[in-house]
Amino acid sequence: MCSLFRESAEGGRVIVEVDGKVAKIRNIKVDSRLDSTWDSREKTVAFSFDYCYWSVDPEDPKYASQEMVFQDLGTSVLSGAFRGYNICLFAYGQTGSGKTYTMMGTPVSYSIHFTLRGLFARKDDYADQTASCRVKVSFLEIYNERVRDLLKQSDQKKPYTLRVREHPETGPYVQGLTQHLVTDYKQVVELLEEGIAKRITAATHIHNASSRSHAIFTIHYTQAILENNLPSEIASKINLVDLAGSERADPSYCKDRITEGANINKSLVTLGIVISTLAQNSQMFSSCQSINTITSEGDSSHADSPSTSSVSGTRRPAYIPYRDSILTWLLKDSLGGNSKTIMIATISPASSSYNETMSTLRYASNAKNIINKPRVNEDANVKLIRELREEIDRLKTMLMSFELVRRNTSQLDDDRDGNLTELVLQNEMKVCMSYLML
Amino acid sequence: MAAVGGCGWAGVCEKFRTARTLSTVESRKDPETDPYRSKYSARALLQEVKQLLSAAEEGDEARLLAVRRAVLEYELGVNHTDTEELSAGEEHLQRCMQLLEPHRLSPDCVSLYIQAQNNLGILWSERDKIKTAQTYLESAEALYNQYMKEDGNPPLDPSEHFMAEEEKLTDQERSKRFEKAYTHTLYYLAQVYQHLEMIEKAAQYCHTTLKRQLEYCGYHPVEWALNAATLSQYYLSKQCFMESRHCLAAASVVFSQAGQVPSAEDNETDQDQQDLRQRKAEIARCWIKYCLNLLQSAQKLLEDNIGELDPDRQLELKAQRKKEEDEKEKGRKKAVLFGMSDICDSVLAMEEKVSSVYPLDFQEAREIFLVGQNYVQEAKEFFQVDGYVTDHIEIVQDHSALFKVLAFFEEDYERRCKMHKRRIDMLEPICSELNPQYYLLISRQLQFELADTYYKMMDLKVAIGNRLEELDSHTIKKINSLAQFAIKYYELFLDSLRNPDKVFPEVLKEDVLRPAMVAKFHIARLYGKLITSDSKKQLENMQTSLEYYTFLVDYCEKYPDAVRAIETELELSKEMVGLLPTKMERLRAKLSPFI
Repeated sequence: MCSLFRESAEGGRVIVEVDGKVAKIRNIKVDSRLDSTWDSREKTVAFSFDYCYWSVDPEDPKYASQEMVFQDLGTSVLSGAFRGYNICLFAYGQTGSGKTYTMMGTPVSYSIHFTLRGLFARKDDYADQTASCRVKVSFLEIYNERVRDLLKQSDQKKPYTLRVREHPETGPYVQGLTQHLVTDYKQVVELLEEGIAKRITAATHIHNASSRSHAIFTIHYTQAILENNLPSEIASKINLVDLAGSERADPSYCKDRITEGANINKSLVTLGIVISTLAQNSQMFSSCQSINTITSEGDSSHADSPSTSSVSGTRRPAYIPYRDSILTWLLKDSLGGNSKTIMIATISPASSSYNETMSTLRYASNAKNIINKPRVNEDANVKLIRELREEIDRLKTMLMSFELVRRNTSQLDDDRDGNLTELVLQNEMKVCMSYLML
Repeated sequence: MAAVGGCGWAGVCEKFRTARTLSTVESRKDPETDPYRSKYSARALLQEVKQLLSAAEEGDEARLLAVRRAVLEYELGVNHTDTEELSAGEEHLQRCMQLLEPHRLSPDCVSLYIQAQNNLGILWSERDKIKTAQTYLESAEALYNQYMKEDGNPPLDPSEHFMAEEEKLTDQERSKRFEKAYTHTLYYLAQVYQHLEMIEKAAQYCHTTLKRQLEYCGYHPVEWALNAATLSQYYLSKQCFMESRHCLAAASVVFSQAGQVPSAEDNETDQDQQDLRQRKAEIARCWIKYCLNLLQSAQKLLEDNIGELDPDRQLELKAQRKKEEDEKEKGRKKAVLFGMSDICDSVLAMEEKVSSVYPLDFQEAREIFLVGQNYVQEAKEFFQVDGYVTDHIEIVQDHSALFKVLAFFEEDYERRCKMHKRRIDMLEPICSELNPQYYLLISRQLQFELADTYYKMMDLKVAIGNRLEELDSHTIKKINSLAQFAIKYYELFLDSLRNPDKVFPEVLKEDVLRPAMVAKFHIARLYGKLITSDSKKQLENMQTSLEYYTFLVDYCEKYPDAVRAIETELELSKEMVGLLPTKMERLRAKLSPFI
């Protein structure tokens, strides 16, 4: 998770500062309403990220160049992909003026270029070796929860008709999306440009579409390898996601808003959102409770151990019929688990962009939470612990009595010694048998 | 009728009407670059109307004029709020309320007064002053109740103050609009209570909002049904099974209405048909959760400290239930019900199909189980594995959980074992066809659950074996093979933690730490439980068991932070690491007594 500041402070005072891994935003709220004056409230909000880059003034000692940023990120994308991880790189944040309709010059296009150059460079290196690889790309756009292929000529009237589905073997996919086998860097650039051109044309047809649409450029990277002298494959998927500039394109927008701000939804159409938030919140609460029950049954000393409750627990007790957005659906295999997720949020340090900056950082900060945690059932544990305790007690008694016998026998004559040892052995056998039966 | 300026009353009304159309209809088409264009035009018109009214101020009936001005202040207030000019909006709305204050309980003012308060509620919520919003909205609620108690006749709609006599609304229409305004009050209050974390109250107000939508026919059936079904899930988490069932029954009934009357929009495309089928399946999934939660909650009440049915508890609860049966009826009358409308009978019939009280014996549990299982089939019809992997598996997991809780109520060990076998049969094929690269979390859950289920079956076989005179070789074989399967799935889970280079991580991430340790711990125990007459084999098993216990002890020594997550398991592992070698030594000594 990182954030990046690259716009210059055209809109007035600089209100953002970067302090290590923390981005701080000062609120000098200028109320633009006719009837009000300067708001005297001034407060600083801080967001923590894994990396923060400052790209405003090249003279600044903290300055991070584009090349440096994508060298950092691109390298980790590449090394992950080679090892078979699924990678997801998000870019989110206000696009600079004039760049609204293009993915060129955005973090995503930089990373696409960088990643592909890296992939093909490696391919050349290994061309004559045992490892050979295959690169396929696809490019799609999600607008208003509908999907279309950016690399295929489609029906002008109904371009957004593709369905998202899941396959048990190959994961989430878009039905009918074209995949293009590419063999060199140039071909990919051509495809990328073709797709981007299509996005721009669409924007003139559909009302300001590109600021409200997400685009996903997917690279399927398959390496043929020999494992124990048997041919095998390492497959990885790299998703480069250009998130919509406008937060209104995000279907969970309302949902987020209602949990963050106090704003009332005016229309009854949003009743569903209110109710699901209600159900979701109460569910989180109740599942916490049930975790406590489980641990306290296991052992009371666990009841207040926070790390226990974060990893154990039961499956979702209730079902909230709220569909994931298509974006989340398509990327679920890339969030959490054996995958690497990188989120780049670009913001402007200018005071005029306060609202957008805040919402971008909030979005990026929330994005950390969408990564799923594993939940497993531990029902067998309670009984197992109890049984094991009993066995330990038995073992202790057994070993103790053996010690006792040994000490006693050393003082006794040989005749009786034999008998006693025999007796103890018989007892022990019984204990062993009953333990086996448990 | 008041005489107004030069352009006449009809002209004034026309202007007002145009302003309203601009504000509510035209504004939706405004371009993104100029989003408030129509709102600004509407505002200009409203101000013109206000000027015209002021010109005619003298000599006329003051009250009538005051009310008309209040209408304008209201419209202007809403207009300013809509265009994000909150302070100006507030002033207008306040002025509206001042003008109406003395007459707020009369039929020509009450609706407007409530709507002004609604809007002030919204306005203050936008300023993050939720308590202030609450005051306005609760006052609106109280005013509605007082008016309905004292007068109750359908009051005038605010727009009627700028209508010619012959255009005035019917009583029916008036009532509909008034009730709609009040429904909004309740809906806003629901949100306010939610923000104030008064969750129960929020749920109650959501429920009432749904009920009123139904009564005043202001709803889209599919959407309504889904909302009711979602609300049922809230009640589930609060263990309010009667309310939950009521919401679900109403959801099913209203949804079936939607299916019967295919409206133009519902039936148009394939996609819409698909959506409708999906909604139906989603409601079915809410029902599954209902059955499951009811059974599981009953299990919690009935189980003893090792998870077995406690017969004393069972008798106690049965006696208690008998006593409470009469009181239940009373409780029902207190709850908010979707009872006023014509669907009442169908909802009742739906409710009778499944109980809402805790099942206390196998027979009762089975009935709920069967209802749940039917909904599993219904949900699976839409959420097929091909295309909806995650959803499908979640449903299968619920199905498995239904069998698991039913097994709790089953007294006969053999039959109980068969129920767990059913779980294995449904989980195992999915688990094996799933690619963990794309479904890592879910396949880990399945692995753990399969391991757990095999463990349970092994336990049951041991218990069955203990009742026999002596363990026959067949039972021993069975026990060992179940234990081996349990080990296999714990190992699969542990393998899933390996990185792409197949190396087990040196340091376990916090989110997998406990599951991994528990898996190791269980494997250690399972090796200790394998039955063999071959002492050498027994030694080997003990050695393996020791290695797994040692893993826990060593790991915690190396990373003391891990201790917190597995205190009990660690304590026991330490004991075993201390005891097992001595035990093994004894066994070895027995094997070769002369060495």
